[in-house]
Amino acid sequence: MWLERHHKLALGDALMGKVVELRGVDTIYEGEHLPAIRDVTLEVSDGEFIVVIGPNGSGKTTLLETINGLLKLARGEVRVFGRDMTRYSRVVRKDIGYVPQDFMSDPSAPFIVKDVILMGRYGKIGVLRRPEARDMKIVEEAMRMLGIERFADRPIGKLSGGEQQKVMIARAIAQEPRLLLLDEPFSNLDIRSKKEIAGKIERLHDEEGLTTIMVTHDLLSIPERCDRMLLMDRGRIVADGDPAEVIRRSEGAGLLLKGWNLK
Amino acid sequence: MIPLPIQILLTAIAAAVLAGVTCSLIGVFVVQMRLSSIGFCMSHAAFAGAALGLLLSVDPLFTALAFSSLVAMILGPVSKKARLAPEVVIGIMFSLTMGLGFIFLNFTPGVAATQQALSILWGSIFSVSIDDIILLGLLTFFIVLLLTLFFKEFQALMFNRKMAEASGINTDLFYFLILFLIGITVAFSLKLVGGLLVFALIVNPASSALQFMYDIKKVMVASPIIGAATCLLGFYLSLLVNFPIGSSIIIVSSFVFCLSVAFSPKRRRG
Repeated sequence: MWLERHHKLALGDALMGKVVELRGVDTIYEGEHLPAIRDVTLEVSDGEFIVVIGPNGSGKTTLLETINGLLKLARGEVRVFGRDMTRYSRVVRKDIGYVPQDFMSDPSAPFIVKDVILMGRYGKIGVLRRPEARDMKIVEEAMRMLGIERFADRPIGKLSGGEQQKVMIARAIAQEPRLLLLDEPFSNLDIRSKKEIAGKIERLHDEEGLTTIMVTHDLLSIPERCDRMLLMDRGRIVADGDPAEVIRRSEGAGLLLKGWNLK
Repeated sequence: MIPLPIQILLTAIAAAVLAGVTCSLIGVFVVQMRLSSIGFCMSHAAFAGAALGLLLSVDPLFTALAFSSLVAMILGPVSKKARLAPEVVIGIMFSLTMGLGFIFLNFTPGVAATQQALSILWGSIFSVSIDDIILLGLLTFFIVLLLTLFFKEFQALMFNRKMAEASGINTDLFYFLILFLIGITVAFSLKLVGGLLVFALIVNPASSALQFMYDIKKVMVASPIIGAATCLLGFYLSLLVNFPIGSSIIIVSSFVFCLSVAFSPKRRRG
């Protein structure tokens, strides 16, 4: 089992309702004047599978990095698991698995795959504590789940883009997250790998009820389990609801033609 | 070869080994986290600090430490407040600290002080005392201890700072700890190779180790071995051909780096 139920139960009743709450949020990048996302209000319930779509530069990545507290708010409030992210982001992030967009390691980087995956657990293991046998077992399971066991002792920079992408997903999963944020997880993958990874993300969601928010450009790889879709445009959520309906609306608004890489 | 009393020889060898180990351990962070320009600026700030120490008749070690730490602490906030690229602020600080260093030296009176001033610039391993060796030994122990205690946090930070932050590590704390360690390493190593060359001793051994290894744990072991060996070889070279010791060490470590690049498996094509 990937996520231990007792771990979820330890959250307390307050956390079992809304996993993510954003109220009137603006996020401005340093040195910029205009917010990358503006006046965003969003509630995500426990166990939801949400896909975020939108043209390039519409604020999808900013939304994910605002949720996990990597970006500071200019206005509004973000709560994850009921906790204010401006005050508790570091603690809360230990329970948020994050797969960044287009991660590529330097080919000569001195880091081997199993260490990179284990790093996902470092926040959870805590300062002054060493990884134990259980941590290594979780890392092995994550590698097995992604089918990358054979790369365990290889330098990450020597892997292809798609293989590195799988390593980053395994790292996020090894973190035993309660919320999974995936930013374009299929961007470096071939069609077969896309299907394979999409299936694994679905399985994780189905078996563990893991709340998942996934940003993608690739409409063909949207997992069937996706029960809600957000459409973003110019920093705002312009549609939120049933995936088929949101896609219809985005076509109607011409957003599919506005720089959208429809694969 | 220059004949030396055994006690001076042993002290010098101990200083060379300890400085080599310490600088090259810290060098792994500097190279892997692309902190070369910050570290370079800090080594010149340490030089200015040591020169001020001479002028004020204060132990140059402490003023060097204060200057290099101060530079490390203000670089980030200054570039953020002034909305300037860190490289711009580093470039200005670098020239400012060099200018200050030479002004302080200019105002330092006396021949003895001039000797000391030269040792700050170029290093003088024979001026290293037993007390300095004890301090260097304590610094080496302190750095190895911190690396052992916080290895996983440092490792995650070296891999990718944003990802480390995303997994819940307090990256700011460990980043500033690394800058502080660079600062004290530079200050403590000034006497050996001097303010102008200390940074090469930090960068060269780590860069050489990184040419051969794909596992950061192995790099952390190999880099101090290369650092200590190049310091000893440089020391031997300086005795053999009567070169300044700091310069000899840097020539040897640069030569080792060139060899590493030439034979690096990471650079082989196909």
